[in-house]
Amino acid sequence: MPKKRVLLVDDNTAVRLLVRQLFELEPDFEIAGEAENGQEAVDKAANLKPDLVILDLSMPVMTGLDAAPLLRKLLPDTSIILFTVHEGSEVQRLANESGVDSIVSKSQVATELIPRAQALLEKSHSGKLPNAS
Amino acid sequence: MTARPDSTPETLKYPHWQREFDAAILEGDPKTLRQRVDAAEAALFLRLQALAGNAEGQAEQRAIADAMRTLRAIQKEKLAYPDWHKK
Repeated sequence: MPKKRVLLVDDNTAVRLLVRQLFELEPDFEIAGEAENGQEAVDKAANLKPDLVILDLSMPVMTGLDAAPLLRKLLPDTSIILFTVHEGSEVQRLANESGVDSIVSKSQVATELIPRAQALLEKSHSGKLPNAS
Repeated sequence: MTARPDSTPETLKYPHWQREFDAAILEGDPKTLRQRVDAAEAALFLRLQALAGNAEGQAEQRAIADAMRTLRAIQKEKLAYPDWHKK
């Protein structure tokens, strides 16, 4: 089976490096590209056509919440995980409205991100995606 | 929570990230502010991973959440990050 291609979007180089390392340990995934803000993510996604976008919330130029609907329109079958330190019902609501499929807390990246990505892509492969949760 | 700028690692309450955080909030040069904030955010992020699932680290996790909020305010007010609340 071909590897799932991931576009990693975060303004912090060190955060991107750590997340990249997590995905590189997984045989099912490859990092197709990286972006430093939402606008760059949208621009790169058009060419890279990733299976999954890991999207930071707070970024310069364009936030993750502003980029998500553009990515959703551009690539309807791509899964989007919002990756944030901000938690709570407001983020949940805004993420749902923006077309995000799932939210992962930055405090639980090491334990939650890969399992969530795998679960999302399995659901995406087999049918409809769940709403952000 | 904030240490004095001359604090040594031995006197810092949270030595894994407090020095970087202090450097960010005390940075007066706009040219290096982004670097300082990024370094502090990275230190906080790495520490959060180390503390995940550690019940004894709850006080530090709350301190990290406060520090993250402070960094977000700096990013918004001084580095012109867009405000994601304005939807």
